[in-house]
Amino acid sequence: MSEKAIKLGAEKERQWPTKTEFTPEMLAEMEKLLPSKLNRVVAASLAGCIHCGMCSDACHYSVSIPEDKTLVPAYKADRFRKWYKSRYDWLAKVFPSFVGAQPLTKELAEEMYDKLFGGCTMCRRCTLNCPMGVDYGMMVRAARSIMQQVGRVPQHLQDTVDTHYNAGNNMAVPQDEMIETIEWIEEELQDEDGCENFKIPVDKKGAKYFLTLNPREPKYYPLTIQATAKVLNAAGIDFTISSRYWDLTNYALFNGNDPDAKLFSMWQVEDVKRLGCEYLLAGECGHGYRALRWELPNWVGGVPFKITSVLELFAKLIRENRIKLDKSVWDGHRFTYHDSCNIARSGGIWEEPRTIIRAAANDFVEMEHHGPESFCCGGGGGALAMPEFTPRRIAAGKIKADEIRATGANVCLQSCHNCTDQLKEIIEHYHIDAKVMNLAELLAPALIL
Amino acid sequence: MENNVSHALLFLEEEVQYICLTFMAIMYAIKIVTLLKKPVPPEKAELKGDRVAGAFESLLNILRPWSMESTRNNMYFYAEFMIFHIAVALTIGATFLIPLTPQIMTPPVTVIFMVFMALAFLIGLRRIHRRLTVPEIRIISSPDDYFAIILMTVFFATGFIALYFWLNKMPETAWMWVFFLMTTFFLLYVPFSKISHYILYPFGRVNFGRTFGGRGVTNKKAKDTNWNPTL
Repeated sequence: MSEKAIKLGAEKERQWPTKTEFTPEMLAEMEKLLPSKLNRVVAASLAGCIHCGMCSDACHYSVSIPEDKTLVPAYKADRFRKWYKSRYDWLAKVFPSFVGAQPLTKELAEEMYDKLFGGCTMCRRCTLNCPMGVDYGMMVRAARSIMQQVGRVPQHLQDTVDTHYNAGNNMAVPQDEMIETIEWIEEELQDEDGCENFKIPVDKKGAKYFLTLNPREPKYYPLTIQATAKVLNAAGIDFTISSRYWDLTNYALFNGNDPDAKLFSMWQVEDVKRLGCEYLLAGECGHGYRALRWELPNWVGGVPFKITSVLELFAKLIRENRIKLDKSVWDGHRFTYHDSCNIARSGGIWEEPRTIIRAAANDFVEMEHHGPESFCCGGGGGALAMPEFTPRRIAAGKIKADEIRATGANVCLQSCHNCTDQLKEIIEHYHIDAKVMNLAELLAPALIL
Repeated sequence: MENNVSHALLFLEEEVQYICLTFMAIMYAIKIVTLLKKPVPPEKAELKGDRVAGAFESLLNILRPWSMESTRNNMYFYAEFMIFHIAVALTIGATFLIPLTPQIMTPPVTVIFMVFMALAFLIGLRRIHRRLTVPEIRIISSPDDYFAIILMTVFFATGFIALYFWLNKMPETAWMWVFFLMTTFFLLYVPFSKISHYILYPFGRVNFGRTFGGRGVTNKKAKDTNWNPTL
């Protein structure tokens, strides 16, 4: 690659000033910020809870850690709701305690921080089970957004966003290193039988698909890129990877910073336009898919191209016989599939993964809760970027671990890198004899070339 | 049946109720307008489903207990919920029917109303017990939650007894007075209480249906088949 490496990310670097506790000044600032976060969904969600408790069986935290009743979704959301009521509930003006209203104090704010950053993955399973249609995901994001604005945000989560801001991707992979990695993976791919002519084009103008990646892939899981590229090549798909804004993650979805979310989205939109691609193609990443497919068009006000996922594309390739698969390569393996919350419940994709799995493997067993009703593994909502809450995150993964164990599967498939890391941790922690794989890794070895 | 009552009770049953009803309607209108003035989150993404169909389906969620795991796995709880809310509608309906069209409140009709009131009273007691004894419910309960369910339970009991005397051709009793005084209190109090959740229900359900319907998560049958990436 002859092009000189360019500086990606924002021109001027920044480090968001984070705080370790709330101060009176921060609380005053939060009071000012609250009205700006109350769109119709958030306001109706704050006002609409009737404390029926139907959400208590829906949350992986409250189900996995039943001894801690403060992890019930309604209780967690009430840390925010109490403050909201103190400002907007009519009866709270006269009898605040009667309606459970509470002015924003340092103690309440710290509880909000603990429960809404460290006790909720914004997976929206409680939303799906709420008779009133309360959107906990949106509500929690609004609360996180207010806390982040005043600097009270988990340090590592904010560092991840800052790194994306400063370097153009959340692991600060330099452009030249990325290009070298892709070239190396391409060579590895070409060494495989039947793949001599396969390519991983970088910055190919006019390619149909602009493939995006999770930075963990070039950093730690290059074989995932290799597997994805192998499938796309086998099907004759015209794709490219950008040397610039190839990172599909957007952790501003989790810390709630809308300007950053919009900025990262804009970079990617401009990059797709630069290469003139027809589709922005999300790689296997849960929140990344949701951020691209469903949130990016709103953050930037619409896009002149289509957005899809490799899961939709792979399923379509299978349905249209564009790739041929030999299921026997996976004989002796029993598979189950974990639906990423952002792909299934918040993204509408759960049939496609099953089309893929059933085409590539003979022995597939569903978990008790699957599809849109799947339990969160515990790694969503940026939880893996909040080490201060790790013990709770691992404990909250128990229900998922139990369901994996019950299938008897020795491979747990998934399509999200946060899920990968969390599933690996809980599988080890709860002593389950299974490994974790994504769908490209399932397909690639089964390809008949 | 005839509503042969004193002028004073008739005044309570009609004029006082209309004034309070007007007050309640104004408060609700303010609530609704306040929410409608809030900005709606934009949806610029290419949809995979029908947002309108999603909203309708979501609104009717209340009649499809199988659609949510929380109700599907708690059908007894759901049945209680349905009976309770039907009883609410009938009890409120009785406060209109008794003064305005007493001829409709025939013995068979009155008995049906009473059956629902009695069941709702028992369900109310069970819900109070649940709120007091189930740890995860107790921890989220505010005084307003207790007051609302106690008030409704007492209202059902009062209505049941008042209708019992009505059935026995005694339209004006102390129980009927208490029943209508409670109704008056309800009309003034409910806009400020959690009981007004039925005003918020359409907002929550429509928001849910538009979001998840548009993304093809719900209303799969109405899925927009235009979303079909070309190879």
